[in-house]
Amino acid sequence: MEGDGKGARRVPRDGGVPRGTGDTPGRFSSSARSLLSIIRSYHLFLGLGVFLALFPLWADRISRPLGIPLVMVMRLVGIYTIAAVGLNLLIGYAGQVSLGHAAFFGVGAYTSALLCLKAHFPPWLGIPAAVAVSAVLGFTVAPVLRLKGHYLAMATLGLGMVFFVFMREMTWLTGGNDGLRNIPALYLPGLAIGEGRDYLRKEYFFIWIIALLVLLFCHNLVRSRSGRAMLALHQSEVAAEVMGVDVSWEKIKAFVLSAALAGLAGGIFAHIQGYIDPNLFTIVLSIQLVTMVVVGGMESIWGAVAGAGVITFIPKVVEALPKWLGEVPHWLEKYSNYEGIIYGLILVLTMVFMPKGITRGLADMVRYRRSPFVNPWRKKALE
Amino acid sequence: MEDILVVEGLTKTFGGLAAVKEVSFRVRPNVIKAIIGPNGAGKTTLFDLLTGLYRADRGRAIFQGKEILGLQPHRIAALGIARTFQTVRVFPEMTVRENVMVGLHHRARAGMFASALRFPRARREEAWMWEESLAYLDMVGLEMQAENRAGSLPFGQQRLLEVARALATAPRLLLLDEPAAGLNDYETRELGEIIKRIRDGGVTVLLVEHDMALVMSISEEVLVLDHGEVISEGTPEEVRNDPRVIEAYLGTEIGA
Repeated sequence: MEGDGKGARRVPRDGGVPRGTGDTPGRFSSSARSLLSIIRSYHLFLGLGVFLALFPLWADRISRPLGIPLVMVMRLVGIYTIAAVGLNLLIGYAGQVSLGHAAFFGVGAYTSALLCLKAHFPPWLGIPAAVAVSAVLGFTVAPVLRLKGHYLAMATLGLGMVFFVFMREMTWLTGGNDGLRNIPALYLPGLAIGEGRDYLRKEYFFIWIIALLVLLFCHNLVRSRSGRAMLALHQSEVAAEVMGVDVSWEKIKAFVLSAALAGLAGGIFAHIQGYIDPNLFTIVLSIQLVTMVVVGGMESIWGAVAGAGVITFIPKVVEALPKWLGEVPHWLEKYSNYEGIIYGLILVLTMVFMPKGITRGLADMVRYRRSPFVNPWRKKALE
Repeated sequence: MEDILVVEGLTKTFGGLAAVKEVSFRVRPNVIKAIIGPNGAGKTTLFDLLTGLYRADRGRAIFQGKEILGLQPHRIAALGIARTFQTVRVFPEMTVRENVMVGLHHRARAGMFASALRFPRARREEAWMWEESLAYLDMVGLEMQAENRAGSLPFGQQRLLEVARALATAPRLLLLDEPAAGLNDYETRELGEIIKRIRDGGVTVLLVEHDMALVMSISEEVLVLDHGEVISEGTPEEVRNDPRVIEAYLGTEIGA
């Protein structure tokens, strides 16, 4: 097809060239073989899926002694995973830092909430609308992507603040600081999710099914032509351009996709919380999302899961500490905001000892059989 | 045959200093044409202009009958001009094969959704890219390194990888910016063979190079720049004996 007469000599290759698939022993039938290759490609998804499916069975039993409502918190982890994996495409893969993604999360939440409250949309239509509105908004502000590095970070920070002010000041629409209340709970046609005795569990499954689909989407994406274009422009914009990659368009696509996923997360968030106000979507949320990406591991789909998990659970664990310890040590109690100190300390230590994030650290441990921690005092080897 | 590239009156100034001044030349198809000149003669700037990284102040550059000045770099790449860089610019965190697959990027069509949802067409395309990338690595002898991190390759192999990546864009014109810099004698000879093979495969080569032995042994034509201006053009033999060239090089032995 292509490539003929263009210098592409096809020389017969000898063996020894590593191949992705096809080295399965021949004793399997072809359907069994394709099943095996699916399992091999997606074993981490299967593992996570099985874990998540079984999680509620024992979670309830240990939630009480732990002092952490595990299923409830895991719903939030799922929501943040959706937003963080999108942000990881933008920051980790395409290398474009955004400190304003709380805006898209917030716009998603407000879009679905308002459509349901004022136009009586069902949530299962409000959430897709939230995705669409966030994506359109992302596309509208995408010209900031002309900026690079710190300037882009500053500009997106500003965007986040502008949207926060809009959400707070457009009281006729958003209710201002009072926020919106009585946002309808989740339901699908013929299936009430956010109601009934075990609504937490149903919401948990709903959220994680969507989160797994999003993860699968992104997992395939980063291993494709588009994903390589993102990685390439991250590492050398000039080289990527000259190779025929439309760099500005690829950046816009990554930005819009990450905005849409933040909007999806925000839309679901509004319905499981039941109320929203602008103070939920400040710079603090933006930074939390970026922290999830960085702590979990840049350039890693699983980093988003790990980051969302760790960042969501740390405050809950810190809250539960007095219960575990019986009482808070006297010297610690003097600091009224000691939760913040512990939270910050864990982040600093993670970055010092696992600079590539949790998932990279663990993956290196498995792959190279070495400690997941680095020694920050050792001089860096020559790259 | 019609000239593949016609450059006329190409000029680029940086803050009053003319890096490229009224440069005009033609490139016949299927030749290796070298561009030589002392440091700062404007050779790399010329490449940057032809690949759209800089905007020219004046002049024209007609590639296969089409004006390319003012086009964005990725459009020029799609038209069939590829290049390598003087300072190696492989994508260090990607594998060797993935680097070449980025070169194949504009020859494939699958969009974000088609790839992420694994539509059959996108999967076929991906399989094609996977296979095809190896053919280009084979050309430069890097097929055994396909799954290694590009940044882990020795310097000379990174240069070869850049050549393979550039070839993967299926160019008609290949701009090589000092490909032999930092290579040892053996590697340089190998490189010369590879460049000749590329030309034989139907790709015109423009070669900026300081290694005169390589230039004189493989190129059919030589263009000499000095202070952004063309001072001589012709066969290696003609250029070698041109008094202006000898003067520009201040007595440097050419073709030693």
